[in-house]
Amino acid sequence: MKLSITGFITGIVLIIVMLGLLRYRPWNHNGSVNIKDVVHDGPNNKAKRQLTVGYLPVTCHLTCPVTDFASKTTHANTNFNSQVFSDFPTVVSALQAKQIQATFMIVPLAMKLREQGVPVRICYLGHRDGSEIVVAKNGKVRSLRDLKGKKVAIPSPYSNQNFVMHKLMEDYGMKPDDITFVVLPPPDMPTSLASGAIDGYFVGEPFCAKAELDGIGRVLYYARDIWPNFISCALVVHEDLIRDNREVVEDLVRGIAQSGAWAETHRAEAARLAAPYYRQDQKVLDYVLLSDPRRVSYVQLTPTDEDLQQIQDMGIKMGLLTKHIPMRELIDRDFVPQTITPALIDAAKIPDPQAGKIH
Amino acid sequence: MGPETNKRQGMSMPAGPTAKPGKVRIRRFGLPVMVLLCVLLTWWLVSFFHLFPAYAMPSPGAVLNSFKEEISAGRLVNDIIASLWRVAIGFVVSACLGIPLGLWLGQHAAGRQAFVPMLNFFRFLSPLAWIPFAILWFHIGDKPAIFLIFMATFFPLVLATMSAVATIPKIYFRVARDYNYKGIELLTKVTFPAVLPQVITALRVSYGIAWVVIVAAEMVGCQDGLGYGIWEARNGLRLDSAVCYMITIGVLGMGIDRLLAQLTKLPDVRWGYER
Amino acid sequence: MSAGVMKDNRSASRLVLENVSHRYGELPVLHNLNLVVNPGELVVLVGPSGCGKTTLLNLLSGHIQPASGTVHREGIIRTVYQHDGLFPWLSVLENISMGLRSVTRKTQRQQEMHELIELIHLEGFEHHYPHELSGGMRQRVELARVLAGDSDILLMDEPFSALDYQTRLRMRHELNRLLVKRPRTVVFVTHDIEEAAQLADRVLVLSNRPATICRELRIHAPRPRDLTDQAVIEAMKAILIELGLQT
Repeated sequence: MKLSITGFITGIVLIIVMLGLLRYRPWNHNGSVNIKDVVHDGPNNKAKRQLTVGYLPVTCHLTCPVTDFASKTTHANTNFNSQVFSDFPTVVSALQAKQIQATFMIVPLAMKLREQGVPVRICYLGHRDGSEIVVAKNGKVRSLRDLKGKKVAIPSPYSNQNFVMHKLMEDYGMKPDDITFVVLPPPDMPTSLASGAIDGYFVGEPFCAKAELDGIGRVLYYARDIWPNFISCALVVHEDLIRDNREVVEDLVRGIAQSGAWAETHRAEAARLAAPYYRQDQKVLDYVLLSDPRRVSYVQLTPTDEDLQQIQDMGIKMGLLTKHIPMRELIDRDFVPQTITPALIDAAKIPDPQAGKIH
Repeated sequence: MGPETNKRQGMSMPAGPTAKPGKVRIRRFGLPVMVLLCVLLTWWLVSFFHLFPAYAMPSPGAVLNSFKEEISAGRLVNDIIASLWRVAIGFVVSACLGIPLGLWLGQHAAGRQAFVPMLNFFRFLSPLAWIPFAILWFHIGDKPAIFLIFMATFFPLVLATMSAVATIPKIYFRVARDYNYKGIELLTKVTFPAVLPQVITALRVSYGIAWVVIVAAEMVGCQDGLGYGIWEARNGLRLDSAVCYMITIGVLGMGIDRLLAQLTKLPDVRWGYER
Repeated sequence: MSAGVMKDNRSASRLVLENVSHRYGELPVLHNLNLVVNPGELVVLVGPSGCGKTTLLNLLSGHIQPASGTVHREGIIRTVYQHDGLFPWLSVLENISMGLRSVTRKTQRQQEMHELIELIHLEGFEHHYPHELSGGMRQRVELARVLAGDSDILLMDEPFSALDYQTRLRMRHELNRLLVKRPRTVVFVTHDIEEAAQLADRVLVLSNRPATICRELRIHAPRPRDLTDQAVIEAMKAILIELGLQT
């Protein structure tokens, strides 16, 4: 065989074309770029519109896949496609590029975005509570004071966990540098705790449940114990979408509200529904949702001025936020429905989770 | 002439070892397989006797299960295609721009003096340092990953091609002059084939970089791909599926490198590897 | 031979140096050299190593321009190098076909290549690559390449010096044989006095740097000559004396 330039180039072009075809599959292209992200294809003949909503696979964002599922299996006017992200910087980038116009996001980050001129509004909340301070199972830590001089991990400086922690320290009369804070990716927190690299962490579920299930850690405080009606994440919508497509936003907020109401009372089913979306072990989700109702709740999701003002004040005090944004600019409650009925999800339509998980 | 020809014909045969072919095959395939089995056995033993806690060391069985799961869900195949597509595009773009630029720089001392410090600067900048900008400029999807692959492979390719050109024996250009090779023909018929063996080596090396980078690049700003798969498995607290992706990445990387190694067997570049 | 039939303008080939001097920076290499190479002649240049033989060859081929004086060249000039003159990425046949680039008709080209392969006795090696050949075979391919097509003047830069002694002896006969079949004007540079005496119509002995022609020796005995021929021995003696290696 002799290397001829034309043969070589032809080969490369062929490989590229083949990969391109496999990648974009023009033969089953049906108008939606994000169709491949849909886990359940259900007939929803009445839906005339569709919207992609971003979320991270954490239980704070549980209502997002539930709304996705509900929009496809019940009669709804808008088809919602939940798009999973792996970190918030990517979500921010997608939002800035308007690749997504609605997403779940940690509240202080949304404020920061607004500060930086990205026109987003908080239209609804994702959950209440849903976060815990976890410490080593066999450690001696009994209260926040015992954490003095120790290392505590938080998911991001712009997380409400960080804010609340500082608020709590203030209440306990501790100085801000009494505890060393480290920013860690949530999945690394349980293992870091196990290896003794950190002495505790404050993060959303399911990363707290994971430590408990693995016998590594125990809950020191539930979020609600230290900050009633704790919020970490909210539904953030781009103002362009609010301006151009009010019906879709209305459907979205109603869908999430109804999904929340459903998930609150159908916790086992919600765990089963979300597991394939999250690609997570259903056992962990079951634990989060079922072990203790104090862990997370999906009702009372209308954002109030007091809730968010408190967060903003704390952020400004800590120097992480710089601008006072009036709450009426930040929050848009126009789409919250008057009455919230649980979504009419047929539990029989939720696919059975696959067998064969870790240990 | 007689003795000389005989000696030559002897030499033109492939210089194979004198051992029996069967023995060679055992050594070539048997030994690596044995090492592989040993590693697997160690892994199995470690997880069987719980030398590490289960959350820190998934068992081979769990990994096998998650392989089944990922393949049946179609995610693994989709992720493989996504990663291959990004590497292919990024790599082809950087080869199409980098090799010609390298050829040009290799022949123009002034160009070399002007550009080499800058090229070196960028070469030593880890492509991962570009991640924030890749996402800012290209948002999410294929583009940032392709950009990162390009940044990772372009500079090594240019520099390798350039130094290959600079080391072409002068005699080839003299011969080319004797036989009237000029301009574009000189480039395609003399300069390019003369550096091709080194360019192929550079391609292999930078493909290795590309494959390492794609995994890291896909951990941010992507919605699919092998690197994303690992990241997602980690987010999902599923180390078993992370291991299944790691195995896929390793096997694919190795396979493609073997494929590229086939290029070095082509007769018109063979000379470059036998001296 | 087809080459002879195809093109017979060796009488038009001409190589003349007039008062040529050359220097590398401050270092004078050639001093006031005059040389006329006649068509069909085989001129051998010998001299102490480093005396500027290769520089002279480069001037003749036009790779470098003289510092002063003029070089007249007529006809197509090709060079046989000491070693590595073949393109390693081309097979024997492809290397030879480089010499036939001016031949546009494919059949004629192929016939020519076939003839040349036969001429250098490398049948069966057409598709081998240079690195798969011995030094002697490689030099034979080089000879075939420079003899191919319409070349007029061959410059040979110590073409056999990288070979072992016996191969070198054989290659001298080979060259003689090829030149009988395809006559060319040849300028042959060597440090091998035997080679000079055996091959040359005319031997030019160069002096130390800056080189000038210090002796011109015509050898009238017809080629091929044996190493032990009286004419060869006498010529060797004369060259050795001129170089100060024998009294």
